Formats: sequence, C-alpha cells, structure tokens
Amino acid sequence: MREYLRQVGALVWKDVVVEYRTRERVAAMGGFTILVGILFNYAIDPTAVEPQAIASGLIWMTVVFGGMLGLGRTFHLEEEEGAFQGVLLSPIPRDALYLGKVVANFLILTVVTILVFAVFALFFGLEFGRHPLALAGVVLLGILGFVAIGTLFSAISARTSMGDTLLPILVFPLMVPVIIYGVTATSSLFAGLPASEVEGNIRMLGAFAAVALAAGAGLFRYVVEE
Amino acid sequence: MSAKIRWTGAVLGVLGVALTLVLHWMVFFWVPTERTMGVVQRIFYVHVPAAWVAFMAFGIVAVCSAVYLWLKDERLDMAAVAAAEGGILFTTIVLLTGPLWGRVAWGTWWTWEPRLTLTLLLWFIYLGYFLVRSSTENPQRGKRFAAVVGIVGALDIPLIHLSVQWFRSLHPAPVVMRPAGPSLHPDMLATLFVGLGAMTLLFFSFFLYRYGLERVSQGLLHREVAEGRTPQPEGVLS
Amino acid sequence: MESSASPSQEPVPGEASEPVLEARGLVREFGPIRAVDGVGFSLGAGELMTVFGPNGAGKTTLLKVLAGALKPTEGSVRLRDRELRTGDPDWNRRIGVLSHQSFLYGHLTLEENLRFYGKLFGLLDLGDRIPERLAQVGLEKRAGSLARTLSRGMRQRLALARTLLHDPEFVLLDEPYTGLDAHAAAVLRGVLTSLKDGRRTVILVTHNLSQGLELADRVAIQVRGRFVHLGPRDSLDLPSFEHFYREKVEKEEAR
Repeated sequence: MREYLRQVGALVWKDVVVEYRTRERVAAMGGFTILVGILFNYAIDPTAVEPQAIASGLIWMTVVFGGMLGLGRTFHLEEEEGAFQGVLLSPIPRDALYLGKVVANFLILTVVTILVFAVFALFFGLEFGRHPLALAGVVLLGILGFVAIGTLFSAISARTSMGDTLLPILVFPLMVPVIIYGVTATSSLFAGLPASEVEGNIRMLGAFAAVALAAGAGLFRYVVEE
Repeated sequence: MSAKIRWTGAVLGVLGVALTLVLHWMVFFWVPTERTMGVVQRIFYVHVPAAWVAFMAFGIVAVCSAVYLWLKDERLDMAAVAAAEGGILFTTIVLLTGPLWGRVAWGTWWTWEPRLTLTLLLWFIYLGYFLVRSSTENPQRGKRFAAVVGIVGALDIPLIHLSVQWFRSLHPAPVVMRPAGPSLHPDMLATLFVGLGAMTLLFFSFFLYRYGLERVSQGLLHREVAEGRTPQPEGVLS
Repeated sequence: MESSASPSQEPVPGEASEPVLEARGLVREFGPIRAVDGVGFSLGAGELMTVFGPNGAGKTTLLKVLAGALKPTEGSVRLRDRELRTGDPDWNRRIGVLSHQSFLYGHLTLEENLRFYGKLFGLLDLGDRIPERLAQVGLEKRAGSLARTLSRGMRQRLALARTLLHDPEFVLLDEPYTGLDAHAAAVLRGVLTSLKDGRRTVILVTHNLSQGLELADRVAIQVRGRFVHLGPRDSLDLPSFEHFYREKVEKEEAR
C-alpha cells in the first residue's frame, strides 16, 4: 500500500513538474478561459439577460470546454521518447497509473477553474453566495468526475487516427449528469440558498465521480495493454 | 455462414415480419383511439417498442463487451458489434418517430422530454462505439477500445436517466409524452406487446445475420492475411 | 559452427553451468500471423545472446513477450525458478529493457528522471544509487541538466542507467545502437561490455551484424518468427558469419 502511494505520488509529481516547466496545458486552458470570457461579454446582451442569472452555466461550460483542451494532451508528452512504454514496463499497477494521471489532471484543472471563477467575477461582477465550502465541494466533485472520464477516454483517443477530435464525442454525452447536478447546485448557491439545498446534488456528483473512477481504474489496463 | 445461424435468423425474421404485419393491422384497424391525443398517438406502438429494443441492444453490447475483455473470445466482440448495429438502427427509429409524434400532436419537433433526450444521448454513445472501433491502426485495439466505451456508456446511462428526469422535475414542460392516461386499456396493452414482440424478433434476426456475417468476414480476413494477399495490419510486427 | 537443423523447442545445452533463463515453445499470434513461432532457448548467468534477423522477423515481438509486455499465445519463460506471468509486477522488477527510444522525459533533469523511475520500482536508497549509476555511464557531471539538452548518445547512456537502476537480473536490449554515431556507439559498447559481469543475463536484438556479434556468447537468427539457428558464438569472424547469416535467411524466406 505504501509503495502504491509512492508510485502514484511519483506520477503526480512528474506530471506536475513537467507541466510547470512547459506550462503547455495551463497556458492553453488559461488563455482560452480569458478569451471566452471576453467573447461571452459580447455574445450576451446585458440589457436582455442578467449575467448573474446564467453565470453558473457559462462557468461550467467554460471549464468543460477548456478542460477538453487540456485532457486531450494528457498522454502526448509521454509519446516523445516513448516514455509511456518505460512506465508500463515498470511494476506499477495499471490502476495506480490511471489514478496518478487523474490526480495530476485534477490539480491542473482545479487551477484553471479558479482562474475561470476569477475571470467571471472580474468581467461580470458575479457574487458567489455565502457558502464557499459547499460551492467548492460541488465544483471539485464535478471536476473530479469530468477528469475521471476524460483521462480514460483520452488514453483511447490518443491511440486513434481521429485523435483529440474524438474526445468530445466520447465525453460529452456522459457528462450530462455532471452538468445537470453541477450547474443547478451552483446556481442555487449563487442565489444565496442554504447549503442544505444542494446536498442531494453533491451526493449525486459524488456518486458519479465514484462510478467514473472505479470504471476507469478497472478498465485502464485494457486500454494500455495488448 | 453456419447453417444453424442462417436458419434461426431466417425463422426469427419471418416471424418478426409476420408479427409486424399483425401489428400494423392492430394499429390501423383494431386498437381504440386514445382520448386526448387522437389518431397520431398510434405512433406510440412503434416508438415505445423501438426504444425498448434500442436499450436492450445496448445492454447486450455492454455485457458482451465486458465478457470479451475478460475472456478475449473474438466471438463476443462480433456479438457486440452486431448488437450495436441493430441497436443504433432502432435508436434512430425512436428519434425519428418521437419528433414526428411531437410535431403532429403538439406542434413542436423537440421537447426535451427526458426519455427522448436519453435516447438521443444513447445514439451518440453508439456513435462513439463505432468511431472508436474503426479509427485505430490495429483492429484488435479498436475492438478493445470499443468494448471499454460500451461498458462505460452502460454504466453511465442510469445516471444520465436519473439526472435528466430530475431536471425535468425542476422545469416541468407543458407537454408530457405519456402514451395514454394513467393506465393502458387492455387492447392498447395487447397492441403494445405485439409491437414489442415484433421488434424484438426483427432485432434478433438482424443480430444473428450480422453476427454470422462478421464471423465469415473475420475468417476471410484471416485467410487473406495468412496467404499474404493482404498486408498485415499496422503495428503488429513492428 | 554448430547449427540446429530444426529450430529448438528444447533448450540447447551450452557452456552455461545451469540455465538461468529458459524459454520453451514460445508462440505469439496476432490473428492468423505467428509473429513468434515456437522459440526456445536457455541461457546461463552472465551470458549474452544476440538475436539477429531481418526486419519483420518478429524480434521485437519476441522481446516484448520476454519483457512481459505481451502475453504469449503458447509457451513459457522461466527466470530461475519463476515462471513469467504477463503483467506480473515481480517480473518487471527483475528485468530491464533498453530500447531505441530512451523512455526519458525531456523536461526533467537526469537526476529527476532516475528518481522517478526509482520510485516506480519501489527503490528506497535512491540518494546513493542514482549518483552511482550516473557515474557508471559517465554522466555524473550532467546530473542537474534537463534530459532534452543531452545528445542522442548521452541519452542512450542515461537510458542504460535507467535500465540498470533497479539491478535487474535479466536485461533486454532492443537495437540500442540506433541513431548513434561511431563515437557514441563506441562509448555505449564500452558500457555494455561492463554488463557482462557474470551476474546478469542479457539478450540483445539487432539487425546489425558487426555490433551484435562483438559481445555475443550465443547467437540466434530469427526469420519469420522462428529461430533458424541457435548456438554458441565460437570464434566466428564477421565475414564468415555474414555469409552464414545470409544463407540462413535466404533459405528460410524461400520456403
């Protein structure tokens, strides 16, 4: 168990350090976020619609679209010198490999999501309600489910001729529950409703993330091995 | 194709067609008209059975995929793809009859009705299955990837169903696509079951023929490769 | 030059005291293709076997099976008393693989690369082990440089350090000289010679006759999945071996 955690830790550390030094994904996702914010400003007529009313949906969609940019690249850096093969030849269990990637992606996407919230707060003067902890819980669980599914499927799409273009087709249909529960809960919290209102949503988001992680951990070996 | 498969497929097919004829007779001449929606409601006897078959087919895809990954028997993959093709066909029928019904009955093509939405998402999951299967260099990989997509899709569908239903409960729509009142008249129920029987028979007939075809095609492919007439699949001997 | 008329299912008795690595009847199919078709051999501790063969002979597939990356359709591999089960992490711990790709992360330093792999293998004494390995391949001065700043030859040396990091009993080399200029190849050869320290068993796969012959104790020729020759190197010189090799390959491909 100890060794398992060390292996997962090594993977997470490696991905984070490489990302920190290349800044490839964070830059792409971060730039995307800010630009989307700008476009939304012109895409939404502020006299017709109160941005606060649809902020929740806009934020989630921005996170999901931006996240797709980054998730698609999960396994690309591994291809450069065939590093992934080297990892596969080590004694690391395949589910540990999957979990390491999920945690690394989760951390990176969380950073981006914070940026998204900041951008939307700045551009649209949004208020985030009185329950930051509940909000964080909703958002983080949503991201976790997203990353769990996205990491598994990015391992698949990286090995197809369609590549990253296939990833949204695979991931978006499965994301519907996350969007529904996540956006509704976020809207409620933005509107100042008490945290107890979103308990059910948090539970469903948690269930989704749990199922996604279990499925990913169990199926990952069939994707990476012959 | 094995004679047994062909024969069974033929029998099921004939029975299916026969039952479909019976269904049509029942739908057009026998079953009473529904009170609120009028004649157009009869599309329900095609729409609902098709939906049952579409989801059952995906269940077959998921189970065959899971066992395929476990046992690695190629025939399970062949069964999965045969079920998937039948499944997406019936899913398309649902997606065509639903809006038709909606348009005629209530004047709108699409209503975000939870079950119809779920079926639309199912269609895209099927699409993902086929795209993944056919876009790998190495066909064996494609089969494994498709199996993974099938399994994850099946795990997610109940969650999608719950979420979509819940969403609708928050935002109730003016129209509700209920087939009839709170309970079905026995004649309507009978017609529904005939429809279900007909579609299931047709599906399995199609499934058997498609499975048999896949077996023959894989066998031919193996022979051609072994005899050197076709280049080996990429990435096999690198 | 001894040559087996029918490629072995049985291990060929050699000068090795007792076999450390034994393969029997290895078959790997991809659908109808038999990429590895009934390969067997037996190696003792400290022996290096070179597997020659034209492209497409199935050498890399054989290597992948031996590395535990591909499951054999038939047959078995034993390292000492233990049978290989594909995906068994303990097997991975006992072998090291050096490929023509370096398996390195360009944006990590040499030291970080080795530390990463060390943790994957569950090694605990990395503080001492890493400088030692780097010194063994002559890269101790570049420990803090990013891997992408290294030349190809240096990268292969680092890859070798990575391969040997966890002290594997069994080392697999897949075309290690690919892309190396004469000088870098000479350096690598020097380092590889030190592999033959009597403890490790090494299998080298290459299509380059001269490089492969130098270090070999035993020689195998694989064509179309089968070993058409397996035997000790004797005191064969390069020209006669080249002739022998070509003969064997042409004969097999004409069948």
